[in-house]
Amino acid sequence: MTGMLEVRSLEKIYTKSRLDRTPAFRLQADFSIDAPRVVGMMGPNGSGKTTLFELITGSNAPTSGEVLVAGRNIHKIRTDQRDRLAIHYHQSYQVRHFRSFKPNMLMEPARSNYPMLHLFDEPQFNTQDGYIGFMLDFFRKLQAEGRLVFLCVHPNERFHLEIVQEVCESFIFVEKGTVTPFADYPTMLAHEPAQAYLGDLLTERAA
Amino acid sequence: MTLFKARNIQKRFGARVVLENISLSVEEGTVHGIMGPNGAGKTTCFHVLTGFYPPDDGRITFEGHDITGRKPHQIARLGISRSFQIMNLFDDTVVIENVILALPDFRALSFNVTRNVFDDITLVDRALEVLDRVGLADRAWQKAASLSYGNRRALEIAVALAADPRIVFLDEPTSGLGAEATLRLMELIRNLREAYTIVIIEHDMRFLFELADTISVIHWGQVIAEDTPAALRANKWVARSALGDVA
Repeated sequence: MTGMLEVRSLEKIYTKSRLDRTPAFRLQADFSIDAPRVVGMMGPNGSGKTTLFELITGSNAPTSGEVLVAGRNIHKIRTDQRDRLAIHYHQSYQVRHFRSFKPNMLMEPARSNYPMLHLFDEPQFNTQDGYIGFMLDFFRKLQAEGRLVFLCVHPNERFHLEIVQEVCESFIFVEKGTVTPFADYPTMLAHEPAQAYLGDLLTERAA
Repeated sequence: MTLFKARNIQKRFGARVVLENISLSVEEGTVHGIMGPNGAGKTTCFHVLTGFYPPDDGRITFEGHDITGRKPHQIARLGISRSFQIMNLFDDTVVIENVILALPDFRALSFNVTRNVFDDITLVDRALEVLDRVGLADRAWQKAASLSYGNRRALEIAVALAADPRIVFLDEPTSGLGAEATLRLMELIRNLREAYTIVIIEHDMRFLFELADTISVIHWGQVIAEDTPAALRANKWVARSALGDVA
């Protein structure tokens, strides 16, 4: 069976400039997810979370490696149809911008109408307006319909941790370009960099 | 009976996707709410459902007939009416004139600027009838500009009702209204539900929880939840929010 998402030896290197090719930032990832679920993603600002989302949805080209969504290499799909396989939901509004040197007619059609992957990039959660519950239900509904959901959260309040514990089954922690998957929340918390990142929120929680 | 139905509606503006995939059904004789946080795509949804923007994908049906891509005036003629978030009245005229100008019988006559709007007594009577429905009959001969904000909203609804629609779409009717005017508007819409099917697009959850029979919650250009107000209120995060006290 083909996995829902396979991220194979993926690497994205940003160099200091066009002339100075010294790597300024390197993101590396290698993991796969076989079943529909809600995956929580966390990590400090600038660790590469959004870059990873862009690479998975095909709006950013990898330096090497590949991303397979439902067995299809997303970077070989026509740019105007990539969102039929994977959608990157930005913080405020949805812009789909794809660049490719290859014309669409030379690329593969998506052959799908309803995207397999839904990647939510730091959605705004506001405890006052009551929408959180509907958002979480929506993630669960997508999962029940056989979709894979990524929920990227940058927790700065304790209820953010409540949200991810309530809705996410497994986790991915991104730090300085290193992507580490975890089977569940306690395993992620045992990871020292994750502990350091969540630091204050965890102590407040214990208090 | 399902009066109005939208299936898999998508709307893009260049690279910006505003409506990803909207599907909803409105049953005849009900009040259907569409709510969502800021930027969810509510107003675009309103414009697409009422024919102001054609969708890029998807189908809209009214009484079982496909009306996708029809022009706003064609859609209006079928019995779909709408009132806007931004006040859209002729301020320098009297209240009743705003309604007469919107009556189909008046509009059907060739446009003649010299014609007196008040010449035809049946039109005046018809307009008074409409004004009575929104509680403005006794203010018919006042200048529209002299109305309070809440009454202006009521007049706008009267303008939408003038065409004798089967279904009325209201875009953020509470916008700009204070607490008391909002309560009066709630009462007005409650009275109208006897005669019309009503779709209200609104960010004020409390308002919809009070009025709607069913609610579609939209976010990210999609329907993320759909249920009765009672079921939506039961969500534990709603109970924890500022709405908890009314839930």
